[in-house]
Amino acid sequence: MKKHISAIAALLVALVALAVLPSGAQPPPAKPAGPPQALPKVFLDWPGADIGFFRVEIPFVEFVTGLEEAQVRVLVTPQGPPGSETFAIEFSGLKGFQGDNNTLTHTPTPGDKPEDVRKGLAGLLKLGLMRYVAKTPAAKFVSVNFQDLVKPTAVVDKWNFWVFNLSANSFLMGETQYRDAMYYGSFSASRVTPELKVQTSVYGNIQKMRFDFGDDIYESSSNGYGFSGLVVKSLSQHWSAGAFLSLQSSTYANLKVGVSAAPAVEFNLFPYSESTKKQFRVLYRIGYTGARYNEETVYFKTAESLLQESLSFAYEVKRPWGMVSLNLEGSNYLHDFSKNRIELGGEVSFRIWRGLSFEVDGSYARIRDQLSLPRGGASYEEVLLRQKQLATGYNYRFSVGLNFTFGSTRSNVVNPRFGNGGRGISISM
Amino acid sequence: MRRYLGILFVLALGVSSLAAAISQDQSAIDELKKTAVKVYLDCGGCDIEYIKTEITFVNYVRDRLEAQVHILVTTQTTGGGGREYTLNFMGQNDLKGTNDIQKYFSSTTDTSDDVRRGLVKVLKLGLMSYVGKTSISRRISVDYLPPDKAGPGRDRWNFWVFSLTGSGRFRGEESYKDQEADFSFSANRVTPETKVRLGLSLDTSKTKYDIEDEIITGTKSSWDGSGLFVKSLGEHWSAGFFLHGESSLYSNIDLGLTVAPALEYNAFPYSQSTRRQLRFLYKLAVNPVNYREETIYGKTREALFQESLSATLDLREKWGTVSVRASGSHYFHDFSKNQLDLFGIVSLRLYKGLSVFSFVGYSWIHDQLSLLGREPTFEEQLLRLRELPRTSDYFVSIGFQFTFGSIFTNVINPRFGSSRSGGMDIHIN
Repeated sequence: MKKHISAIAALLVALVALAVLPSGAQPPPAKPAGPPQALPKVFLDWPGADIGFFRVEIPFVEFVTGLEEAQVRVLVTPQGPPGSETFAIEFSGLKGFQGDNNTLTHTPTPGDKPEDVRKGLAGLLKLGLMRYVAKTPAAKFVSVNFQDLVKPTAVVDKWNFWVFNLSANSFLMGETQYRDAMYYGSFSASRVTPELKVQTSVYGNIQKMRFDFGDDIYESSSNGYGFSGLVVKSLSQHWSAGAFLSLQSSTYANLKVGVSAAPAVEFNLFPYSESTKKQFRVLYRIGYTGARYNEETVYFKTAESLLQESLSFAYEVKRPWGMVSLNLEGSNYLHDFSKNRIELGGEVSFRIWRGLSFEVDGSYARIRDQLSLPRGGASYEEVLLRQKQLATGYNYRFSVGLNFTFGSTRSNVVNPRFGNGGRGISISM
Repeated sequence: MRRYLGILFVLALGVSSLAAAISQDQSAIDELKKTAVKVYLDCGGCDIEYIKTEITFVNYVRDRLEAQVHILVTTQTTGGGGREYTLNFMGQNDLKGTNDIQKYFSSTTDTSDDVRRGLVKVLKLGLMSYVGKTSISRRISVDYLPPDKAGPGRDRWNFWVFSLTGSGRFRGEESYKDQEADFSFSANRVTPETKVRLGLSLDTSKTKYDIEDEIITGTKSSWDGSGLFVKSLGEHWSAGFFLHGESSLYSNIDLGLTVAPALEYNAFPYSQSTRRQLRFLYKLAVNPVNYREETIYGKTREALFQESLSATLDLREKWGTVSVRASGSHYFHDFSKNQLDLFGIVSLRLYKGLSVFSFVGYSWIHDQLSLLGREPTFEEQLLRLRELPRTSDYFVSIGFQFTFGSIFTNVINPRFGSSRSGGMDIHIN
């Protein structure tokens, strides 16, 4: 075995050498380093224009005097009576930008002074030139900013922000001795505005499996359905209040039917408006659950009413060096504080130095609250196929990864020949 | 004292009039937002919430037909292991005819924050061609900060990129424990003319079940080395060869080596590969192999010759995604030892709010030459530790989704966590 590996390694090394040699002999044409600011060359086709003004206003292009060397031609045509004219601005791509065309119109506000008109024109010229600048190295040094804060709900919407969604999916797989089928359906209605968030959905799923051992056939089926709802009212940039509602049934959890309602409050240390960059949320909820079980539980119950409270902390930050996400949640039942659970989860990805990055992802839960565990336990097959919740005092998941990449930093080349590695499909429900 | 009061009074007057001016401005800006460009962002891998918080001068809609600009983002892997994002801006409705294509490159060492900021930048620049046609454009500023040092030097690595990755994963609860570790090394050099990819990976995993004091342990381990060399022969043809070495407990292979020269024809020019490809690949393989245990055919080693042909169609259009692949292979020593695989994904946005998807795979398998001579144990079967005899396997998934209601999706509300409500999301790379 070891001999084989070293043989393969030798083969690979030989192949690397083989691949390096011919390519070393005829190096591919390197991109010319050239002047650092390769600005797009623009010919402003507007006789009598104050070119000096535009040169100062628009420093990220090079205004040229002839059409021959231009990459972009900008034709400005004033229309209408002098003093209250509108301007048609026609952008045409030349040379490498062939086919890159657009037309914009500048309509000055009535009563604008000539300087204002000229300034407005320059502003619009800048926007129109962006598509060309974006394709040159100068793009790196340009920034586009919206000068105002605007409400995302400033739109004309006859549905008043309600969105409804109906979906159904099936997933079947199998081979000669094994079959697995899953069906899933849901309907949701939601309305999300900065002031109020309402999300509701009803769902159902069924899973069926069949194993054929030749002399013996094992079949199983599990299902779940329910309703879930969430209402959140925004109180300030840091506070929110709301409620979680749910109704569910699940063979995995031994739940014939469970109904729960839990009011909650949340505090975010950072303003919610920065949530895509950082958030530190603390959520407290207290809830009532009425449960009816499929099988008698280890506590000899077939139905019970429960009060539970929980407190959770969520910290998330995403920065150029990487990201951190940490969650800590503790909960307990009010009738017996020893029935509790504490869960810690986290994910960190960190760029240590240039090509060296590090990732950790994990969670640990200490579990003392499996109230719905069936007394009858689970069969041998149900254990191996993980189809029933099992008695456990803890569960954990941890993964760690290190990646080091070095070599060319200029390999933005895409070469799709012989495929580009497998196709990834991800489905989230 | 009185003077101070007077100053305060003037100050208060100034502040209040300023506030009035601001609120008047605000309603004017909200008015502008109502006529802002309607954008349909068609990008599975983007951080949509971040984009919506950073780019607020457009309106986001959930249906492509409602939009004035459809931005279709497709990605491909670059030679350096990063991604090439192609942003197809397609004007629709009253902005029909205004089109543009922009690109953004990420590298493997970029953090997710680097990537989302880079994409937002390119999106902003590309959107200017459309925003320039609406009156909100008056509130947009473009700034330019020229660089003060020269551009990057030459590439001393000659396009070679190396990467080392190691990771470990651990999971468990009282009656179940699972651990996995893998290590991989790759060396790639991709230019438009040639492509060299070399990789070596090692995997090992162990699963332990504790059922009524009986302990069942399952172990899997494998290693795998591969090489690919491709030479470009024009816009439609490529030639090269595959190398592969593997060892796997699951497949009963102690050591298998494959050398396979191959030829490929693409009906579309390779330069369009991010949007459309129809590739035919023919491969002729020589495969000496040593087995771990005697196979069902009584062999412990053999040398195999195999030929295969595959056809792959990939389309990514406004109306959806089609990816279909068919491949067939057979051994020369016995033509009845053959395999045929079909695989297809179709995801269509049919009409306002209605989309359907389906993915289907079917394999006819008559070439399990490495199958164990003995009967696998019960645990080996249930835990899928060993390849089992089969003549076919399949998976089928069909689903639909219908969304109606408000077309605007401008709002981000992170309170109580941002979970998606219902529906499903399919992301194909």
